[in-house]
Amino acid sequence: MYTLGKARFFSFVLLLAMAVTACGGALATETAATSTVVTEAPVEVMDVSGDLVMYSGRSEALIQPVIDAFRAKYPEVNILLKAGSNSELANALIEEQANPQADVFITTEVFTIQSLSQQGIFESYMPKGADQLPAEFLGADNAWTGLTRRVRVIMYNRDLVSDDELPTSIFDLTDPKWRGQIAAAGSTNGGMQAQVAAMRQLLGDEATEDWLNGLIANEVTFFGGHTDVRKAVGAGEFKLGLVNHYYYHLQLAEGSDVGIIYPDQGEGQIGLLSNATSAAIVKGSQNLAAAQALLDFLVSVEGQKLFAELNYEYPLLPGVALKDGVQPLENFRLADVDVVQAALDFDATFDLLEKVGLP
Amino acid sequence: MTTLEVQNLFKRFPGAQHFAVNDVSFGLSDNEILALVGPSGCGKTTTLRLIAGLERPDAGLIRLSDRVVASETVFVPPEKRGMGMVFQDHALFPHLTVYENVAFGLRGKNQTEIRTTVGEILHMVGLLSYSKRYPHELSGGERQRVALARALAPRPVLVLMDEPFSSLDADLRAEVREHVRGILKSMRATVIFVTHDQDEALYMGDRLAVMQRGELEQIGTPEEIFHESNTRFVSEFMGDSDFLRGKVVSGGIQTEIGLLKQMVDLPASTPVEIALRADDVEFEIDGSGNSLIVGRFFRGAFNLYRLRLNSGQILHAFTDHTKIFEVGTRVQARVIAEHPLTVFSG
Amino acid sequence: MDFGPRSAVCGLWSLNHPQPFYTSWRLARSSGQRLCYNSILMLNSVETTPPTTFSVRTIKNIAISPRLVIAAGLVALFVAIPLVYIFVRAFSAEPDAWSRLFQTRIWKLLGNTLLLVLAVTGGAVVTGVSMAWLTERTDLPGRKVFRWMLAMPLAIPAYIGGIVHLALLRPRGGIIPQVLERVFGQPIPTPSPIGFWGATFILTLFMFPYVYLLSGAAFRSLHASLEEASRVFGRTPLQTFFHVTLPALRPGLMAGALLVALDILAEYGTVALLRYETFSSAIFVQLSGRYDRSSASVLSGILVALAILILWGELRLQGRARFTQMESAWRPAPVIGLGKWRVPALLLAMGIVFASLIVPVAVLLVWSVQALLDPQTLAVIVRTGSQGFGSYVWNSLWSSGLAALIAVIFSLPVALLAVRYPNRFSRFVSRLCQVGYAIPGVVIALSLVLLVNRALPILYATPLVVVIAYVLRHMPQAVRASESALNQLSPSLEEASRTLGRTSLQTLVQVTLPLILPGLLAGGSLVFLTSLKELPATLLLRPPGFDTLAVRVWVWAGEGFYVPAAPAALLLVIASALPLSFLLRREQIFK
Repeated sequence: MYTLGKARFFSFVLLLAMAVTACGGALATETAATSTVVTEAPVEVMDVSGDLVMYSGRSEALIQPVIDAFRAKYPEVNILLKAGSNSELANALIEEQANPQADVFITTEVFTIQSLSQQGIFESYMPKGADQLPAEFLGADNAWTGLTRRVRVIMYNRDLVSDDELPTSIFDLTDPKWRGQIAAAGSTNGGMQAQVAAMRQLLGDEATEDWLNGLIANEVTFFGGHTDVRKAVGAGEFKLGLVNHYYYHLQLAEGSDVGIIYPDQGEGQIGLLSNATSAAIVKGSQNLAAAQALLDFLVSVEGQKLFAELNYEYPLLPGVALKDGVQPLENFRLADVDVVQAALDFDATFDLLEKVGLP
Repeated sequence: MTTLEVQNLFKRFPGAQHFAVNDVSFGLSDNEILALVGPSGCGKTTTLRLIAGLERPDAGLIRLSDRVVASETVFVPPEKRGMGMVFQDHALFPHLTVYENVAFGLRGKNQTEIRTTVGEILHMVGLLSYSKRYPHELSGGERQRVALARALAPRPVLVLMDEPFSSLDADLRAEVREHVRGILKSMRATVIFVTHDQDEALYMGDRLAVMQRGELEQIGTPEEIFHESNTRFVSEFMGDSDFLRGKVVSGGIQTEIGLLKQMVDLPASTPVEIALRADDVEFEIDGSGNSLIVGRFFRGAFNLYRLRLNSGQILHAFTDHTKIFEVGTRVQARVIAEHPLTVFSG
Repeated sequence: MDFGPRSAVCGLWSLNHPQPFYTSWRLARSSGQRLCYNSILMLNSVETTPPTTFSVRTIKNIAISPRLVIAAGLVALFVAIPLVYIFVRAFSAEPDAWSRLFQTRIWKLLGNTLLLVLAVTGGAVVTGVSMAWLTERTDLPGRKVFRWMLAMPLAIPAYIGGIVHLALLRPRGGIIPQVLERVFGQPIPTPSPIGFWGATFILTLFMFPYVYLLSGAAFRSLHASLEEASRVFGRTPLQTFFHVTLPALRPGLMAGALLVALDILAEYGTVALLRYETFSSAIFVQLSGRYDRSSASVLSGILVALAILILWGELRLQGRARFTQMESAWRPAPVIGLGKWRVPALLLAMGIVFASLIVPVAVLLVWSVQALLDPQTLAVIVRTGSQGFGSYVWNSLWSSGLAALIAVIFSLPVALLAVRYPNRFSRFVSRLCQVGYAIPGVVIALSLVLLVNRALPILYATPLVVVIAYVLRHMPQAVRASESALNQLSPSLEEASRTLGRTSLQTLVQVTLPLILPGLLAGGSLVFLTSLKELPATLLLRPPGFDTLAVRVWVWAGEGFYVPAAPAALLLVIASALPLSFLLRREQIFK
C-alpha cells in the first residue's frame, strides 16, 4: 500500500537534483570560450573583458553574426543578449534608470533612441571613425550613433504578380484588388512604428490614420516580424509584403522568386521612407570599456562591412561597398523626415496605432 | 494515591449550542481501570481528549499525580503529560516498523534499554516475532495490540483508550478484549477506557462511569451501575431494561401483573416505574392471562420473549431453549425478582 | 422533487443501503465524485473523511501554533501583493487610458476572449467526456493504450502543438498544402489553423486531457448499481448516460471545465502564433509598446477580475462537494458493448490521438533529425544568442526545479492551517494562495516588473524574478496537492505522536512530512511541469543571457526557424513527459 521505499528514493533523488540545480544556478553563466582567432583588422585590439549586456531591437538572427564577429575579436568579452522590440527594450531602459542593467542599446530605427537620449538615458561617446558619418545620424552630444541605413520597400512574389500590375506607392496597398494578399509587420515592430511616425510627420495624422484603416480594411495580415513576412511572400502565401529592403535580398538569396518595388518615387509623392539602425551606451554601464569597444567595432570598416555583406544594408560609413544587387540610395528620392521632431512626438504614434487597433 | 483527579470540567465547542462536557468530576485510583461509557455524542471521547491534552477545557481542573495539567491558568501540552493513548483507528505510523512504532515514545534512552523495553512489551502482547513488519502487513487485531504496546512502552502514568476495539470484528473483539485486560492488569496500569458498548464496559472496567449529553450520570462498580442505577437513563442504557408502571401501596407496589412486595420510601399512590430485566420476569400459558406474546427471539442457549401487557406496556422474559411458545399465545406474566428492583418515581 | 428516473434510482439505491432518502441521493452522487476530486494533477482540493476514522475530526485546538499562522500569513501576503498591485495600478491609471481603451479595443478583445473561452471549454468537455466514456465504459479495442495516449498531450505545450500544426497546415505556405498542390497541380483548400477556428481546434486538442482525466476517474468510480437501476427501469444506455451518469460527473466536469477556461484566459503563446487576439496577447503587445504601463495595467485589471470570477465559481463548486467513504461493496460498472459503433469510435479516438500526440511528436522528431544532420543548423542551435544550448536546458531545469521546491515549501503552512484548523481565516488564506490560477503569466510579469524594480532592485534582472513568477503562478497546484495529501492523513497519527512525547514541530517533521511526501512530490512535479513550459512571463522577465527551452523554441519559431527549434521543443516535451508519467502512474488510473 505505501510504497514508501520508492517514494523515499524518488524524493531523495529529486531533492538532490534540486539542490544541485539551485547551487548550479549561481554558476549558470557560461564563461567565454577562448579562441585563438588571429584577426587581421587594422584596428588595435584593446584589452577589454567581462560581461557586456546588449539590448537589441534587432532580431536575434540578424544580430548574431555581429556578436560572433565581435567575440572573435575580443574573446574575453561575454555578450549577454536581450533581444526584443525597440519599444519594449526602451521601456525596460526607462524602468531601469535608477538601476541600469544594460551596457549597450541597439535599435532598428532612430526615433526610439532619439527619444530616449532626450530623457538622458545614454552616455555620450563618439566611436572612432564616427566623425565620418553623416551628421543627421549622430545624436546630439554624441548620445547615440547611427550604424546602417534601410529603406521601406514593397516586395512581391514574381510567380503571383505580373510586372504590369505592380503597385507604385504604399497607398496602393489599400486598393481592394490586393485584398487579403498583403503581409506586413504589426504594431510591435520598430520598422512599422517608424514608418507610421514618419508618415505622420510628412502627411499629418488624418491621412496616416486613413492609410492604416485602409490597410486593415484590406485584410492585410500583420505578423510579429519581417522575417515572417518575407518568408510568407517567398512561399507564395501572399503577393505583396511591406518590409525593409534587405528582407527582399535575404529572401532572394534563399532562392525565392521575389521582386522589389521602391515606392512613391513620382512627382508629389512622399519618396522612400528611410531609417537607420543605431547604437548607444547606457549611462551607468558596468563595462564601459567593452561598450566603447563594441561601438567602435560597429562603426569600423570591419563592422560596417559585416552589415553590408551579411545583411544587404546601407552602411553609413562612407567608402564601404554595397553588396551585389543592392541599389545605391543616390538613385532614389528619399523622404525628408526631421528625426528630432519625430522622436519628440513618438508617443502620439503609439496612440494612433492603438486607436486604429493595429494588431 | 489518586492518580487522576478531574474537577468540574467544562468544554463547549465553538458554534455548538450545548456543552460537550458539562461539569464532570471524578477521580481515579492507582491500578484502576475506569470504563467511561455512554451513547455516541455523550462526551466521553471529549473527556478523554481533555485529559490527554488534545483539547483545552473551558473550565475546570485536571490533576495528574498531584501535578496540575489543566486549569484556568495552566495548560500542559500533551507531549509533556506522560500519558499513553490508544486510538480507535490504532494510529500506527505506516512508515515505521512495529519495532520502531513501539520505540517511538522511548526517546532519550540508550539503545540497549530501548531494545529491552520494546522486547518485553512486544512479548507481552505476543507479537515479538513481528517486530520487523510494517503495520499494513498486520491484521486488525494485531495492529491494535501493537498500538497498545506502543502506548504502554514508556510506562505512562495513565493509559487512555478510545474505543480501541470498535474497529475489530465481533468475534475477534471478545478474544482481544480478554487478552488486553490481562496485560493491563499484569502491568498494573491505570486506565481510562472509553466505549459505547455496555457489555465491554461491564467486562473491562473495575469501575464504570456512565455519561449522557455531557454529564456524568453515575459512577460506580459494575454491579452498582447495573443493579442500582441512579437514573432511568443508566438503567436503560446498561442493559435491556423494561419499565413497568405501578403505584405505591401499603404492601409495596401495585402493578398490572401483580403486587411487588418491595418497600419504597415514597408516599402512597405515587406513580412509579420499576426497572425490570428479562431475567426478572417469567410467564406461563394462560388463556385469560394478562399479556400476549408478540415476539420470540432465539438466542441459542435461551429464548427471549417479548410480551405485551393488556395496557400495551412491553416486557421481556427469558426461558431456556427447550421451551418454545408461539407468537400470539396468551400468557400470565409475573415478576420473580430475587433481588431488590430499582424503582423510579414518576 | 422530480419523479423521473432519478428517484427510481434513489429508491433502488436506498433499498440496498437503508438510509434516509435525501442522504442516499447525496451518497449516490458523491461516490461518483470521489475520485474526481482525488484525482490527477490535484486539480481540486479534497475535503474528504480521513479513510480510517469514522467521523470527520480535526484537531480543534491543540493551541494553533502562532508560528503556523504567521508562516501561512506571510505566504498569503507574498501571493497577494502582486495581485493587489495590479489593481492599484489599474485604478490609478489616468482616465485617459481607460477611455482610450474602452473606445477602441476592450469590447472586441472581451468578445474575442470570451468566445474563445466558451468554444475551447465546450470542445474540451465534449472531447474529454466522450473519450473518457469510450475508454472507461465501453469495449473499445485497445483502451488500455488509449488511456495513456489520451493523457500524454499534457506534456506538449499548446504553442508547440500550434507551431507544428501551423507549419503543416498554414494556407499556401504549409507543408501539406504545398504537397497537395504539387500532387494535384493546383491549390487545394485545407483547413487553416489560423484565426478563431484554428485557435479553438489547437487549444482543444491540447487541453482536453484535463477534462478527460477527471471524467475518466469519475466514470471509473461510479457504482454499478446506479446504472443497473436505471437500466432495470427501462432506460436505454444513452438515456442512462444523460440522466444518471452525467449528473454524477457534473461537479468534477464543471471543475475541469473551469480550469480549462482559466487556462485559456491566461493563454498567450498559441493565440499569438495563430493570430487570434485576446486579452492576454493584447497585454503582451501593450507591454512591448508604450512607454508607460497604464494601459497594460488596465487591461490586466480587467482580465484578472474576469478570471477571479471564474476561479471563485470553481472554488465554490469544490467546497460544496462532500464525500463519504467508498462503499465497501463497490463494484465497477459493467462495460457497454459498442456493436456497430466500434469502428467509428475507434477512428475517432485514433484521430484525436493522432492530431494531439502522434503528429506533433513525429514532426518534431523528423525536424530534430534534420537539424542534427545539417551542420549549419546544428551550429545555429548549439550557439545562438549569447549562451549555448546546454545553458538553455540547464536554465529550464534549475529554474523550474527551484520553483517547484519553493512552491511546495510555501504551500505547507497554508495547507496545514487549512486542513487541520479549518476556519474562515485558514480557508481564506488557502483560497488566496490559489489565486495564481486566475492571474495570467503576462500579468504576473507586469506586476513583478513594476514591483521588483521599485521595492527590491537587487532582484531585478536576475533569474530569481523568473522563479518568483513561476511560484506565484503555480503555487495553487502545490497548495492543492499538499491539502489533498494532508486530507488523506488521519489526524490521530499526529495526535498519537503528541501523546508519545513529540512536540508539534517534531511531529511535523517525524510523522506528517514523511507520510505526505509522495503527495508533496506530486505537487512539486506538477509545478515543475507547468513551469517548464511557461512562456509569457519568462519572455518578459528574463535577464539578458537567460533563456529557457520554452523561450528558445518561441524565439526561433517566431522567426520562422522551425527546424532549429525542433530539438529544443522535443527536449521540452520529453522533459515534461517524465514527471507527467510519474503523476499518471501514481494516480493508479492505469491499473
